Amino acid sequence: MKNMEENELFKKRLLFSLMAVLLVLSGCAGFQTGKENEVAAEADAEGKVVVDFWTFWGSEIRRPVIEKIVEDFNKSQDEIVVKHTFVPWGDIWTKELAAIAAGDPPDVVINDINATALRGQKKQAMNLSEFLEKDDISARFYPELWEATLYEGDSYGIPFNTDTRILYYNKDAFEEVGLNPEQPPKTWDELKEYAAKLDKKNGDTYERLGFYPLFGVNYDVWMLNGSGHNFVSPEGEVQIDTETNLETLNWLLEWKNHYGENVVNSVKSQIDSQQANPFFTGKLAMFVNTPTFYTQIRDYAPDLNFGVAMLPEKEEGSGHTSWGGGFVAEIPEGSSHPEEAWEFIKHLTDKEAQEYWAVKNYDNVANTEAAEAAAKSPDMPEKDQVVYQTAVDNMQNTLLTPFPLAAPDFPTLLNPEIDNVLLGKKTPEQALKDAQAAVEQLVEENKSK
Amino acid sequence: MKQSYFDSMKNREKVLKAVNFILLCFGSLLFLSPLWWMISTSLKTMKEVMSFPPTFFPKEWNWDNYIKTWEAAPFDLYTINTVTITILVVVGQVLVNSFVAYGFAKIPFKGREVLFAIVLSTMMIPGFVTLIPQYVLFANLGWLNTYYPLVVPAFFGSAFNIFLLRQFYMTVPNEMIEAARMEGASHFYIWRKIGIPLTKPALATVAIFSFNGAWNDFLGPLLYVNDENLYTLQLGLQVFKGEMSTQWNYLMAGSLIVLLPVILLFFFFQKYFIKGINLQSGGK
Amino acid sequence: MKRKKFNYKRQEGLVGYVFILPWIIGFLLFTAGPLLFSLVASFTNYNITSQMDFVGFRNYEKLLFDDQLFWTSLWNTLYYVAFSVPLTTIGAIFLSVLLNQDVPGLRFFRTIYYLPAVLSGVGVYLLWMQLLDPSTGLVNLVLGWFGIDGPNWLFDPEWTKPSLILMKLWGVGGGMLLYMASLQGVSKSLYEAAQIDGASKWQQFRYITLPMITPVIFFDVVTSLIGGFQIFQEAYVMSNGTGGPVNSLLFYNYYMWNKAFKVFDMGYAMAMSWILFIIVFILTMINLKLAPRWVHYEGEAKR
Repeated sequence: MKNMEENELFKKRLLFSLMAVLLVLSGCAGFQTGKENEVAAEADAEGKVVVDFWTFWGSEIRRPVIEKIVEDFNKSQDEIVVKHTFVPWGDIWTKELAAIAAGDPPDVVINDINATALRGQKKQAMNLSEFLEKDDISARFYPELWEATLYEGDSYGIPFNTDTRILYYNKDAFEEVGLNPEQPPKTWDELKEYAAKLDKKNGDTYERLGFYPLFGVNYDVWMLNGSGHNFVSPEGEVQIDTETNLETLNWLLEWKNHYGENVVNSVKSQIDSQQANPFFTGKLAMFVNTPTFYTQIRDYAPDLNFGVAMLPEKEEGSGHTSWGGGFVAEIPEGSSHPEEAWEFIKHLTDKEAQEYWAVKNYDNVANTEAAEAAAKSPDMPEKDQVVYQTAVDNMQNTLLTPFPLAAPDFPTLLNPEIDNVLLGKKTPEQALKDAQAAVEQLVEENKSK
Repeated sequence: MKQSYFDSMKNREKVLKAVNFILLCFGSLLFLSPLWWMISTSLKTMKEVMSFPPTFFPKEWNWDNYIKTWEAAPFDLYTINTVTITILVVVGQVLVNSFVAYGFAKIPFKGREVLFAIVLSTMMIPGFVTLIPQYVLFANLGWLNTYYPLVVPAFFGSAFNIFLLRQFYMTVPNEMIEAARMEGASHFYIWRKIGIPLTKPALATVAIFSFNGAWNDFLGPLLYVNDENLYTLQLGLQVFKGEMSTQWNYLMAGSLIVLLPVILLFFFFQKYFIKGINLQSGGK
Repeated sequence: MKRKKFNYKRQEGLVGYVFILPWIIGFLLFTAGPLLFSLVASFTNYNITSQMDFVGFRNYEKLLFDDQLFWTSLWNTLYYVAFSVPLTTIGAIFLSVLLNQDVPGLRFFRTIYYLPAVLSGVGVYLLWMQLLDPSTGLVNLVLGWFGIDGPNWLFDPEWTKPSLILMKLWGVGGGMLLYMASLQGVSKSLYEAAQIDGASKWQQFRYITLPMITPVIFFDVVTSLIGGFQIFQEAYVMSNGTGGPVNSLLFYNYYMWNKAFKVFDMGYAMAMSWILFIIVFILTMINLKLAPRWVHYEGEAKR
């Protein structure tokens, strides 16, 4: 019977400790429901409106820049307080979506420009036309970017930053093989010719690769470069199985056959692991990437003597079309302070803030004027200006490929077909035909919804 | 004759042991080499991390990477937050699951099999289709931006741990329980006095699993916590990952720091397994 | 005390419910609602934010009869599960037995083998991408020592899934932990008796150790089966978000995630999840039915 008493005692102790835990919890910040943070509390006291602003810019480089922009805004007027929160890259949008579904979203979120129209269609992002009627700021941005934010003619996000693809080449290597380091390749044929010269073989292994088109970018960039248009038009017309795309695919296949599976895979796995990059060490003579790749060269391979150029064109006159993307500032549907959010977005995408962002982060911005100014800014080192100017110039060649609403996930059908071609398991003709059929079917299905 | 028989047995044991040891050593090299890569990266400069071909040993050992990592975000605060959540989750998981599992394993009641099948079923639906409705649910409870969604469910059992502990309770002889019942002991008493002690290794396993789960949880805090002051270590580590590039050396240093308590915990909890070993090989 | 005898059986049943009460409350409070919602929404065109119209079985019909990627993803996942579950189970048992012997430095060995299981996240996957580099990676380097010309791993559609299985084997420490815990329940007197009878180490393992740990093997098989069907993040990271060469890493959950969070076709994704549920549920029930044939519960030895 003593055991029984002990048992009762144990029960009591258990209950007691659970109570104690609850008590401790109620004192802990993480367990206070409805607790307002300092910014909000302070703002409330002053009768200000708090605008919740989510970005994925948490790094030691980006964060101070965005917070300075926020701070400037907060100082500039006395009705709104913007509160910046860092939410990790990629997952930020899962969280945003959940918050929209729960009816309690933030007021401004940085999101992918390619899905802006799609989010407009799904009523995740707010239709901004009402605000744009009052202050039309659309002329601030590159037209191509602005276009991408439109769904049925209305904008659902304001462009913030952007990127493009340019060709980096190793000037020393050019010189070594007797190429003029000031004359990068201009056409696909030249590209191939130069690459052959730049290839350096030691027995069976390459000491240096001239160029491989699918390092740094995917096949779609080259198809865009060749054809000048997206695979699926905004109207839902599928343009995959075309003569131009077939030529491009054959061209890509030639490269693959030139270097062989093993060489390509080995270098690609290095580049994909986002660490060692053979371009830094001169093991790859030409490489396509974004302008911000320059900062990596600057920081990790400062002695590299390199140049930048537009992407070569398929044949003379076909156009140096490049590919880009970017981010927009959007107001999620259900935001409690859209008016104030709009005020902040205007500040965020205005010349001053954009130029500051561009210079401090070395990033391409959506605001045309700011981009031009940044390239000449005295705050940007001369060396940095060269690449930046190339990037700005390249913007007129740059196309975006926003998700076509008729088939937003068509790449899942196209990618494996192209893979099969590059693996030698399908002819380019057959692959494009199959992809065309599969994507057309997807468009049909989506229409019937 | 008899003597030599035992001798050869002993010799064979010795050989087996040596083979075992060599096998384990070789295996450890395989298991450790990725870890070495982490350590090595954490000590390199970014310039070296990005060099090609990759170096196996850092050229310079930049120990201050660890300090810089720690200063890159309020990691002190994040540690306190993570510890708070983790302790509560572990307490909840160990206490409640053991209790529930005992019920499923040792008390016959109507509908037990069906209910147990439901327990298993809850594991089979992928988390992200219930993510949105669950978020909405917690929002309606007013639990957003608190730790409640991370901690409270732990006090209501988890299918994985219930199943695990049930399997261990199933090996406890029924006669033992019945005998105790005859003497008038309640199930609660038997659970505490017989069940818990007999399943200690399993409870230790549950504790370790729940600790790791809560410590490394990323999606939970990401979704439910809005205030950066309430962020956890795993969220903090994300500052080293950007949309374009990653600060590998800091990320690895940070990951290693975060890993350390997990290793220490395992070291500490091992005694629950080692005790058993002494029982087995103790006949020297 | 006297009253306790009254209707013993019924009271026993009640006590049972009291014991599982926490789980029942938790289930009703936190799990049942969202599950029910996802079931209902799987019959709609739910897109999270703007529409949720009843469409009957259309999502299911489309999946089963019209969607080639559904079958690709299901095949990939079945392939992965079929190999990863038995291999990780055997690997974990093997390791736990090795680490349950009396060898010097046991604590260190155990920690070392356990370590990879707690290393998680994107960093590890990227690390494996380096290790699996066909020419400079560590894996092919080691294979080279034995005269084996390693495959192209993540670049060859035939080898992408084996790559992931290999990585999973490296993280086998979690399962090992389970088996080690279970081995503690095997009493040493059984081994001593066997030794006197002249049983070899293998016989001891086969006839004593193995039967005694069957409850945990059962647990491990069931849970890794369930877990195996949910593989996603590894494939996402290691294919750079493309699904791997020829969609060879487009696993079930990966495709579902694309549908749910990339194109916001949440109703469709929920239908997918319930098809997966039915598949896994049937497999689990088969497991449960087969269990009495090979799982040995000491507690029920008398039956």
